[in-house]
Amino acid sequence: MSTLVVENLAVRYGGVSAVRSVSFTVPPGESVGLIGANGAGKTSTLRALMGLVPRAAGTARFGDRDLGKVPARHMVRLGIGYVPEGRHVFAGLPVEKNLLLGAYASKWDSSCRARLSEVYDLFPVLGQMRGRLAGALSGGQQQMLAIGRALMARPVLLLLDEPSMGLSPKLVEVICSALQRLRAEGLSLLLVEQNAMLTFEVTGECLVLENGSVAMTGTSAALRDDPRVRKIYLGL
Amino acid sequence: MQSFFQTLVSGLSFGAVYSLIALGFSLVYRTMGLVNFAHGAVLMTGAYLASTFYLSARLPFAVAVPAAVLATGVVGLLIERVLRPLESKDVDLMLIGTIGAGTVLEAVAILIWTSSGRGVPSPVRAAPLDVGGVRIPVYNLVVIAVAAVTMVLLTLFLQRTKRGAAMQAVAMDPEAATAVGIHVGRSNAVAFAIGAGLAALAGSLASPMLFVSPTMGDSLGIQGFAAAILGGFGSIPGAIVGGLGIGVIGSFAAQWFQGYSDLVTFVVFTVLVMVRPTGVFGEKTVNRA
Repeated sequence: MSTLVVENLAVRYGGVSAVRSVSFTVPPGESVGLIGANGAGKTSTLRALMGLVPRAAGTARFGDRDLGKVPARHMVRLGIGYVPEGRHVFAGLPVEKNLLLGAYASKWDSSCRARLSEVYDLFPVLGQMRGRLAGALSGGQQQMLAIGRALMARPVLLLLDEPSMGLSPKLVEVICSALQRLRAEGLSLLLVEQNAMLTFEVTGECLVLENGSVAMTGTSAALRDDPRVRKIYLGL
Repeated sequence: MQSFFQTLVSGLSFGAVYSLIALGFSLVYRTMGLVNFAHGAVLMTGAYLASTFYLSARLPFAVAVPAAVLATGVVGLLIERVLRPLESKDVDLMLIGTIGAGTVLEAVAILIWTSSGRGVPSPVRAAPLDVGGVRIPVYNLVVIAVAAVTMVLLTLFLQRTKRGAAMQAVAMDPEAATAVGIHVGRSNAVAFAIGAGLAALAGSLASPMLFVSPTMGDSLGIQGFAAAILGGFGSIPGAIVGGLGIGVIGSFAAQWFQGYSDLVTFVVFTVLVMVRPTGVFGEKTVNRA
């Protein structure tokens, strides 16, 4: 099992700093949340970890691997799964093809079939829709598909970018309980969210990002009771 | 009535060639989100290679054509490799790059084979089949059969193989494809090479029916492009139906309007596309935001 260690990560687009300096650690089996408003640098942090945008400064290590030297398409081989913001399913392909493509890096054999039924067990609605084109699914179903697709590669660390975006409260609950179940199964999670309540329920530790820097950090339980967090992020 | 069927069969065999060209356009569009404007010039390259293997190297036609398809596939790989830096910036830049690549191929063809062109004798010397008074050249049937087999194989490749699924995934969402471990650049290269191979197959099959010249790709490319649009750009069954449609319309236009056949064909095409802008099998366009 590997620990994700991020130190002084910075991301710049042109001359604009999206992430100034962010450091955190995700130990094996732990679940860490990044919360903050729009433009706080949450998504950029994840995309920089994945190698989808260049890092301006800082390092990211996963176990003994320097992620700066790993191209984005090899992250999945290291056991890092990625659920992008806005779901990004393969709209013109059937649900089951989407899931199988999640296991692109491995053989489509019996263990892959077994994984497929695990995903259908986690999200039964995907099993019912397996022949349907992914683009014809509802937003919530697409989110489940995006998570299921990432799970197909049997990751040890799952990066999730705003899985609750645009979903009804009921569907947020479905996603929430799925993430809790994955966590209980020993998967490490790095969850980026605007929905602070969901994040506190699923993660053990949280960072609050503001303008590309870490404004607060602590256990999710402590942050949930923090008066500032309650006022700004929970509206209480 | 006999001349009707004669015209129909001739239209279908040209249509099979147009279908192959349209397939190449649609495959590259479906997998890369790119309209390849070098497609006609690649076709011409394939036709010259096949005719050279057949006439100069004296290979059997059935060997010369696959050899030309492979060689042209390699040309496709080279074009994609040269243009790849453009694609990583903007796929529209790569589109302009393909126009340049087409011009280069035509210039190279003139340097190697001169601008005069060459005729290719039909590789099938059997007398035309007589079906109820309708005389059907055997070679036309060969063209239709080869095109049909190719289309079945391509469909199986896209629907049944991992690489085929991955190629489609790359077109739909290159970033998500990267995240599941697909090498987007390699996938695009394979797509481009297959597209080039399809163009070469179309060009070499058409060469005994037409005349091989450095500009043959211009008109054939336009016909194939129109076929792809008529069927629904990016759709595989659409490319087949569109190709056969353009072939049959063109054949009847040539029969009834002689010199004005292209004009009539494209007026009919324009009206059809105005009535149904997405084409016969029009799908939602592939978005590459």
